[in-house]
Amino acid sequence: MAFLAALDHSAFSTWLRGSDSIWAFPTVLTLHTLGMMVLTGASAALDLRLLGVARQIPLLALRGLFPLMWGGFWLNLMTGSMLFVSDATTKGTMPMFFAKLLFVAIGVATTVLIRREVYGRNADPIHVSSTARFLAIASIAAWTLAITAGRLLAYVAA
Amino acid sequence: MNPFGNPADLAHLHLLLNHVPTVGTVLCVGMFLLATVRRNDDLTKVSLEVLFVIAIASLPAYMSGVAAHDVIKDQPGVSETAIATHQSAALLALACMELTGVVAWFAVWQFRRGAGRPPKTLTAVFVLTMLTLAVMAWAANLGGYIRHPEISSVPIDATPASGPRWIDVAALGEWVLAHLWLWPTGETLHFLGMSLSFGILLVINLHVLGFMGNVPFEAVHRLLPWGMAGLMLNVASGMMFFTAVPQQYLENPTFHWKVFLLVLAGLNYLYLTVFDRPWDVPRKGVLLMTDKIVAASSLCLWVGILYLGRMLPYLRGKF
Repeated sequence: MAFLAALDHSAFSTWLRGSDSIWAFPTVLTLHTLGMMVLTGASAALDLRLLGVARQIPLLALRGLFPLMWGGFWLNLMTGSMLFVSDATTKGTMPMFFAKLLFVAIGVATTVLIRREVYGRNADPIHVSSTARFLAIASIAAWTLAITAGRLLAYVAA
Repeated sequence: MNPFGNPADLAHLHLLLNHVPTVGTVLCVGMFLLATVRRNDDLTKVSLEVLFVIAIASLPAYMSGVAAHDVIKDQPGVSETAIATHQSAALLALACMELTGVVAWFAVWQFRRGAGRPPKTLTAVFVLTMLTLAVMAWAANLGGYIRHPEISSVPIDATPASGPRWIDVAALGEWVLAHLWLWPTGETLHFLGMSLSFGILLVINLHVLGFMGNVPFEAVHRLLPWGMAGLMLNVASGMMFFTAVPQQYLENPTFHWKVFLLVLAGLNYLYLTVFDRPWDVPRKGVLLMTDKIVAASSLCLWVGILYLGRMLPYLRGKF
């Protein structure tokens, strides 16, 4: 708790929370939403393809989505950490916050596994395996829950 | 910078736009029937495309109408009852119009997919268009009484029966606010819809920009209805927010810009379905600067919509 309180009282947190500038909290929050949109949006498109939508798209053509997803992920890890330290004592004790982290972790894990399953060394470039389809469903579910938990953070009490 | 700084400007916009859905839907029914009789697929497609454009224009038509309400409500001779009944009927007409527009867009998409006429979707479009036409005419008629009470056979204030009793915009807004779970649910759906719509457009536009190798546009075009599903989710949840606290949005210039970008985003869906340009890119093997600009703009548009939406509470008055 003392650590969380120390984060809360750091100069950076105080600035992020208290500044009237639109470049403080609002911009960090917007960048967090942008990262979410790129990461989960690209992930949803790939998952839909794995589940049989637009089968005419060769799997290899979608490989370029991974750098974008990782870009979104790192942006959100950074902006998410900033948002956390600005409200550490509250967020650090909220079950909903840990639920969100868990869903994000599952989402990232499915992304890594899909990459390995579909684009790994021994992967079939044409056919989608049943493992890949299962991972696609898990990925959609994890990101949907992560977004839901993230959104609810603004509404549930600590 | 805001062209609608004065609420009266939004009232003017309403007078300009409110004829688009009423007159436009009649025109579309005519075109659609003529196309069916003549068995002319091109004319059918035109009527479907126009229906979709009308559905897009109906959003600012409705929202500017709510602003017009505030401008004229205190003027002599204007009945609050007449406005309220018109607005309630208009919200129902808007819902019908949006549904019709989306189904019409889906029919255009099916045509483009190359399987010929989609008979079931076309029947659905026709039924929905006739329904929309009826509700729209009713809403327009009620709207006419606001400034022309002399054409009503009975005094407007004494005729609550002339308006819809079972749908009331003000009560609907209060209902949304009273059910505390609705707002967070709407916000969650709004974020999910945005991600889905953006993800699909990301793949399609990256393709046009040349990042996906030699894949026919037809292949990525198959994804588009999923993006449209995301957009629908956002229009529905967004209209729920607007119905609950319209003033909060109408008074915020950031929101005016957001709606403007949303209209462009809607037209982008039509562009990707109707125009030959994106289809020609891989076929001809050349990427023109205009193709790149349109594709990049489409992605920037969504970043812009996200920015304005997320910054709605913060940018107020900072434009």
